[in-house]
Amino acid sequence: MERHEADVLIIGGGFAGTWAALRAAEVGASVILVDKAYVSRSGASTMSGGITTCPLDSDDLDVWAEEFITRGGYMCDQRWSYQLLEGQRERVKDYERWGVPISRDDKGNIRRFASRGMINVRGMQYQPKAAMREMRRRITDLGVKIIDRVCITDLVTSDGCWPTRGAAAGAVGFHVHSGVFVVLRAKRTIVATGMIAMKGTHRVDNDTGDGPAMAFRAGARLIDMEFTFGGTFNVLMKRYDFPSYNVAIAHGARLINSKGERFMEKYDPVRLERSELSHVVAAFAKQIIDGNGPVCVDLRHVDDTYWPDIHRIHRGGGILLSEHVPDPTVTPLPIEPTWGMWASGRSGLQIDLNGRTNVPRLLAAGSAAKNDATGTHASAGSPTAFCNVSGWHAGDCAARESLEEQLPFVPEETLSALRDAAFAPLGRKPGAKTPDLLHDDLARLEASVVDGMVLSGERLQVMLAVTEDVSRMTCEIHAQDLHDLVKVHEARNVAECAGAVYRSALDRTESREQFFRQDYPYTDPSWFCWHGIRRGEQGFIFERIDFPTDGVKFPIKNTEAGLGPIGAIIRGEALQKEHA
Amino acid sequence: MNVDASIKVTIDPATCTGCGLCILACPVDVIRFDEAAGKAYVAYGKDCQVCYLCEDDCPTHSIGLSHDISNSRRYSVYDQFGIDF
Ligand SMILES: Cc1cc2nc3c(=O)[nH]c(=O)nc-3n(C[C@H](O)[C@H](O)[C@H](O)COP(=O)(O)OP(=O)(O)OC[C@H]3O[C@@H](n4cnc5c(N)ncnc54)[C@H](O)[C@@H]3O)c2cc1C
Ligand code: SF4
Ligand code: SF4
Repeated sequence: MERHEADVLIIGGGFAGTWAALRAAEVGASVILVDKAYVSRSGASTMSGGITTCPLDSDDLDVWAEEFITRGGYMCDQRWSYQLLEGQRERVKDYERWGVPISRDDKGNIRRFASRGMINVRGMQYQPKAAMREMRRRITDLGVKIIDRVCITDLVTSDGCWPTRGAAAGAVGFHVHSGVFVVLRAKRTIVATGMIAMKGTHRVDNDTGDGPAMAFRAGARLIDMEFTFGGTFNVLMKRYDFPSYNVAIAHGARLINSKGERFMEKYDPVRLERSELSHVVAAFAKQIIDGNGPVCVDLRHVDDTYWPDIHRIHRGGGILLSEHVPDPTVTPLPIEPTWGMWASGRSGLQIDLNGRTNVPRLLAAGSAAKNDATGTHASAGSPTAFCNVSGWHAGDCAARESLEEQLPFVPEETLSALRDAAFAPLGRKPGAKTPDLLHDDLARLEASVVDGMVLSGERLQVMLAVTEDVSRMTCEIHAQDLHDLVKVHEARNVAECAGAVYRSALDRTESREQFFRQDYPYTDPSWFCWHGIRRGEQGFIFERIDFPTDGVKFPIKNTEAGLGPIGAIIRGEALQKEHA
Repeated sequence: MNVDASIKVTIDPATCTGCGLCILACPVDVIRFDEAAGKAYVAYGKDCQVCYLCEDDCPTHSIGLSHDISNSRRYSVYDQFGIDF
C-alpha cells in the first residue's frame, strides 16, 4: 500500500483539475493531482477543438451574460454566468502571457468569432494541447505533486459509509501498470474527472464518469442528469473520422441534405448551423426520417484559415485527408451525429460558486460538474471556459478552507475493504462476459441517433435494465489483468451514471430543450427547476430545486407550456418563438 | 462510399529508440515497454482511439496510424435507414 497526504487532493488533470491545482498551490496548500493517464496527454481537454469563450476588457459583459442566461432559458445561476465571464477574461490573459498559441488577425489581435449558438458571445481558437502542456509545466514548478497512471476507484469517507453522514477524506485507487494500491488522504478532495460518456464515442475513452459516479455513491447530488442526453457530431463515426463540427461551422461550413437544401434555414434562419446543437441534430434526424439523407457538411464555403487551423488541431485533418473520400474543397461530405451521453456541463455534480458539493469537504469542477453559468444551452467554448474558472474557484476554496484543518482520520478497516473491492475482479473465475463486452452493451444504448432522441417511459425502463445488468455483472466479472481491471471499474461507473440519467429521465414527466419524451411531449412549467438525484440510505432521492434569485440581473422567466423543440422538429411543426 | 479500414496503431521496431514518450502519451494505455527489446510495443491495440497523441510525441516517427476509422462501437444512422452513398 502506497500512502500520500495533502491539504488538497484533485482527481483528474484536464483543464479543471490543473487550474484547481495551480490556484490551490498559489494559495499555499500542499496539492496532489492524480490521473488515470498522463496529465497533459489525456482527457477531453487535450482532445478538444480549441474554441473557448473569449471575453476581453473592452467587452460589455452584461450583453454576454444576458445571452447565456436567456439562451439557456433562465435555467442557471446568474451569479455563475458573471463569474464565468469575469474569470475567463483573466484566464485568457494568462494564456496570452504564457505564450499559448492563439489564432490572430493581421494586426496581431486575437481573432474572435461568434460562438455556436450565440450572436454576441465571442470565442477564440487556441491550441489546447499546448495549453495543457503549459499547465503541467506551471503546476510542477509550483510544487504540485502529480501522480500519473493511478486509476481512482472510490472516494474515502470519514465514517466508512456510502452514502456518508460524515465527510470526504480522500480517495483510493491503484497504479495501472504496477498494481500497487494507493491511498490518498486529504483535507479537501476535488473531483475533476471530466465528462460522463460511453467508450467509443468521443475519443476520450478514459472519461467514463468515474468522478460523478464515485461522488454519487458517497452521497453527492447530481443534477439535471436527463439533460446529459444530447446531440453532437462526434469525431468518431462508424465509417470514418471527421474533425470538429464546431470548428468547421465557426469557419463557415454548411449542412445540406440530399436535395442540396440548407435545411437549417427552416429552423433557425438567423444562426443556421450555429444553432443549439440539439436542434441541429434533431433537424438532421428529420432529414433522414423524411428520406432526405445523407446529410453532408459542405466545406466549399469555409474561410481560408480553416485548413491551416484544422491541420494544426486535428492531426492530419482526419477524413479530410483520407484517400477514401473525394476532395472536400469540391465535394460535400456525408457526416453523422450521435445522440447520447455527453455531459460537458449540461448535467453533473451540483456545485456552489466555490465548487462545493453537498458532501462536506468534497468539491467538483469542470465537466464532472453541472455548469450553472449557461443553463441548458452551452455555446461552443463555454465548456472549457467553465473548466478553467470552476477549477480555479474550487482550488481557491479548497486550499483556503484546508489551511485551518487537520487531516481526517481514516480507519484501516475502511481502507482494506476498499482495496479488496478494487481488486476483486482479478480473483474471479472467467465467465462468458468480458469487460469489453460490458462496454459494448453500454455503447449499444446509444446506437441510434433517432431512437436516442425520441424517448418514452417504456424505452427508458429497457435502458435502465441494461445499466442494472451491467452493474450486477461488474460484481461478478473476471479481469484478466490490470488493464482489464480498469475497464471493469469504468463499466461500473458508466452504468452508475447512465442509471442516474435514465432514472432522472423517468422522473421528469415533460419535454424541454433537448430532452424529449414521446409520452410527455409538452413542456410543463412546473418543471422549471434544477432536478436533483442522490443516494439516500433508503434509496434514490429526487429533488426539485428552485433557481437562485440572489444576484439576479435579468428577471427570471418561466418556460411557456408548449411542444418542446425536439418534438416540434421531429413532427415537422413550427418551433415555439423562444426556441427559434 | 464504404470505408472499412480497421483501427490500427503500429510501431516500427527498426526505428523505435525506446524513449518511452508514446507510453506516457497514450490516454488509454495501449502502448507498453518491452524490457527485453528495449522498445515500445502495442500491447492493447484494439483499445486504440486513434487520437494521434503518441504519434505527435514520437521523435523518430516510428508510429503509424490509420485515420480511416471503422469504429465497432458506433452504429450508423445510414445503415439503420438503409441509405447508401
Ligand atoms: C472531441 C471534443 C471536442 C471538444 N471541443 C470543445 C471546444 O472546442 N470548446 C470547448 O469549450 N469544449 C470542447 N469540448 C468539451 C471540453 O473539452 C470539456 O468540457 C473539457 O475539456 C473538460 O475538461 P475537464 O478538466 O473537466 O476534464 P478532462 O479534460 O476530460 O480531464 C479529466 C481527467 O480525469 C482523468 N480521470 C478520469 N477518471 C479518472 C479516475 N478514475 N482516476 C484518475 N483520473 C481519472 C482523465 O484521465 C482525464 O485526464 C470538446 C470535447 C471533446 C471530447
Ligand atoms: S493513437 Fe492515441 S489511443 Fe492510439 S495508441 Fe496512440 S495515443 Fe494511444
Ligand atoms: S515515442 Fe517513438 S521512439 Fe519513443 S518509444 Fe515510442 S515509438 Fe519508440
